[in-house]
Amino acid sequence: MRTGIRVMGVCCALALTMGNLAVAAMAVPAPAERYLHVKVDDATKGESVNVNVPLSMATAILPTINKGNLHNGHVTIGEADFNGVDVRGILEAIRNAPDNEFVTVKEKDQDVRVAKLNGNLIVHVLDKRQDKDGQKVDVTVPMKVVDALFATTKDNELDVAAAIRALSDAGDAVLVTVQDATEHVRIWIDSHSSSE
Amino acid sequence: MVLLGKVALGIAGTALAGVGLICSEGMIEVKVVEKQPEVHHVYVLAPAMLVPITMHFIPSKKLGRAASEIQPWMPTIRAALEQLRAGEDVTLVEVREPGQHVLVSKEGGSVVVDVTDTEETVHVSAPIRAIESTVDQVAAASPETQD
Repeated sequence: MRTGIRVMGVCCALALTMGNLAVAAMAVPAPAERYLHVKVDDATKGESVNVNVPLSMATAILPTINKGNLHNGHVTIGEADFNGVDVRGILEAIRNAPDNEFVTVKEKDQDVRVAKLNGNLIVHVLDKRQDKDGQKVDVTVPMKVVDALFATTKDNELDVAAAIRALSDAGDAVLVTVQDATEHVRIWIDSHSSSE
Repeated sequence: MVLLGKVALGIAGTALAGVGLICSEGMIEVKVVEKQPEVHHVYVLAPAMLVPITMHFIPSKKLGRAASEIQPWMPTIRAALEQLRAGEDVTLVEVREPGQHVLVSKEGGSVVVDVTDTEETVHVSAPIRAIESTVDQVAAASPETQD
């Protein structure tokens, strides 16, 4: 009888321990969802468009799309688009180089600047043509994302799905801003489900 | 008397279970307020489960074209709806223009569309599970039977 009570006691203790462990496991917070935000404002027309896409959704959807140049999360790029430039080689060189400004082009119509800073690849373009209203484009892409983009084995492919996954692991960041006389476009990632 | 009571309890219980079952997938809510020229209110609240049930009564050949167009995109639609259902509430798209405001969001287990302009206000809320069932049924219709 006593043995039976002891066995029951041990079973109860085990059940309680397992229950506590399960509760503790459930209490571990899931990683916060990350969102890709796109915001377009046209001040002159009083228009604005906000799009908020959970990155987990983008990661799940991309491999399912097989249309045009997009297949299984990979974008196929024609050889002509690279113009014979060894992009991977250039990226490898940039990755191994210290922070620096690599390209500075100043022309009558356009200024272009390409740099590496704090693990980000940064591109600034200023379009001075009259019809472009002094359009400014700033692109900041974490090198991890660039690496993921070119991580495919095929030379003429970009792994967009891997880049999105890499974005999920990156911190909050403004990826693209485009500003001209009337419109302002901003693309960024963070953990907020709204653009506000 | 006791027997009558039991029968009444049985009927009431079955009715309650039926209502519970029909409402188990949530409710579809449509609210339209026309502001001009006169104010009209339209409000429809229907169990979401009725939509896939109603789909059974639509002749397959009527869905043929929709089926052939939607089938290639089914993996994408399924992935999107699955992620949407599992994810947090989010405002997916918001468009503001002078006199118009469009909002597409995920609230709870539903996709909500709100459109407000100078002439009318439209609010549609549909449970994601019901959307999944309906889309599955459209895709399941035989494309070759189209008109």
